[in-house]
Amino acid sequence: MLTIDSLSASYGSIRVLKEVSLKVPAGKVVSIIGANGAGKSTLLKSISGLMKNSTGRILYKDRNIAGMPANRIVHLGISQVPEGRQIFAHLTVRDNINLGAYHYFKRSNRLEIKERMARVYEMFPILEKRTKQIAGTLSGGEQQMLAIGRALMGRPELLLLDEPSMGIAPLIVREIFNVVKQLNQSGTTVLLVEQNARAALKVAHHSYVIERGEIVLEGLAAELLDNPKVKEHYLGG
Amino acid sequence: MEKITLASQLLQYLITGLTVGSVYAMVAVGFNIIYNVTEIINFAQGEFVMLGGLIMVFMNVAMGLPLILAFPATIVLVTVIGIIIDRFAIRPIRRPSVLTLIIATIAVSILIKGTASFIWGKDPFDLPAFSGRNPITFLGAVVQPQYFWVMGFLIITAVALSIFFDRTILGKAMSACADNPDAASLVGINVKQMILLSFALSAAIGAVAGITITPISLMEYDRGAMLAVKGFAAAILGGLGSFPGAILGGLIMGSIESFGAGLVSSGYKDAFALIVLLVILFFKPSGLMGSIEISKIKRF
Repeated sequence: MLTIDSLSASYGSIRVLKEVSLKVPAGKVVSIIGANGAGKSTLLKSISGLMKNSTGRILYKDRNIAGMPANRIVHLGISQVPEGRQIFAHLTVRDNINLGAYHYFKRSNRLEIKERMARVYEMFPILEKRTKQIAGTLSGGEQQMLAIGRALMGRPELLLLDEPSMGIAPLIVREIFNVVKQLNQSGTTVLLVEQNARAALKVAHHSYVIERGEIVLEGLAAELLDNPKVKEHYLGG
Repeated sequence: MEKITLASQLLQYLITGLTVGSVYAMVAVGFNIIYNVTEIINFAQGEFVMLGGLIMVFMNVAMGLPLILAFPATIVLVTVIGIIIDRFAIRPIRRPSVLTLIIATIAVSILIKGTASFIWGKDPFDLPAFSGRNPITFLGAVVQPQYFWVMGFLIITAVALSIFFDRTILGKAMSACADNPDAASLVGINVKQMILLSFALSAAIGAVAGITITPISLMEYDRGAMLAVKGFAAAILGGLGSFPGAILGGLIMGSIESFGAGLVSSGYKDAFALIVLLVILFFKPSGLMGSIEISKIKRF
């Protein structure tokens, strides 16, 4: 579904991604694990169109989307849950969710939007309870749920998740990863970027390890869980 | 002749204050629209009012276009100027920080003022009142028919905007841009288009304010800066970003000014707005209607 071919990116003179190539097959969960600053987020931002200074090819359904602006990429079926949630803090929970459907928000799509919203509320019942609350006042975990809910409103076929476990209580992390699994089972392809390697490897089919902007290891997630190097560096020995 | 009592005099101050305040309120609303989308304070906001007045004089008086045509034509022209400002002064700035953009709006306001003085000279211009100048006496206070036009347009503007921002997805999308432009583009919002729309909208509102007030207080090339200061004070008083706050702030500001000029001295008229601004900034920076909750998560 998604093929990245020799992607490089830099902030000024600092190269953050060096000739990264990877594949995300349709229907799978692929995770990218790596330390802080390894280039994981930059990789996702390049796919979703937020990162503009990148070279190389990003093929999504055989179409090169490299350099396309973010607001057009979402039309193609790629939604990103950005690092640090980035919800619309001044707006209500309901507005945030509605805005997820912005790119197809028309009277004729009203029914679909309602259905999708109902599904998001079913997945995260707490959001329904807080529907009229200002989003900035939600807890970290609730904000993460809202960010995922908002992305799901965008009709994603490929969901990009950037560090969904960051700064969130373990119990809620488990809940969020369960949702990721459910989403995948219902057909959404997922590309997940995580520092929490154990959680990421458990949920993924295939995984890549990124270090200083380069892919250093790849394989089936189950195999990487047993890989001595991964164990030592990412799973705490 | 009717006797002027203190009560009728106070009522007179109040009515005049609310009329002038309506204009400040419209300027404050214009500030808020751009602020809510970009977090920029557009210091050229007052120039939209000045342009609205002077272009209307040109259309209606110099070209002889009837009011009903000149009014919308003026709004369209000022809106186009708002769009040009965004396109050529705001968007080209490469690494925009809120501060550089604010400075750009100051530059634009100086440029507009200069151009206006070149075109219209330094004299004030008058515009015929929309429905004549025969005053109505109300409880001893004199009310110009034009006062109703000014306040009426404030009400229309307020209702239209609150529907737009509270009820439409486009309005919500505009607010989302201010909150988080990156996240906004991730859900498919074209942030640059929303900024353009915010400049267009607030230019249009500024034009309405200018057109309606000119028959009362005339208009000249350098009126923009003081209107901007007072509108800004009104926006701060009401709570930056809050539309009901802007309207309340504007009306209070106009009334304070009018009572101050009448009861203290008209020489200090402009000082009152600035004193109110300072007091609010010292004691309640979130303003009357600004939520403290929201002001905590504001960056600017």
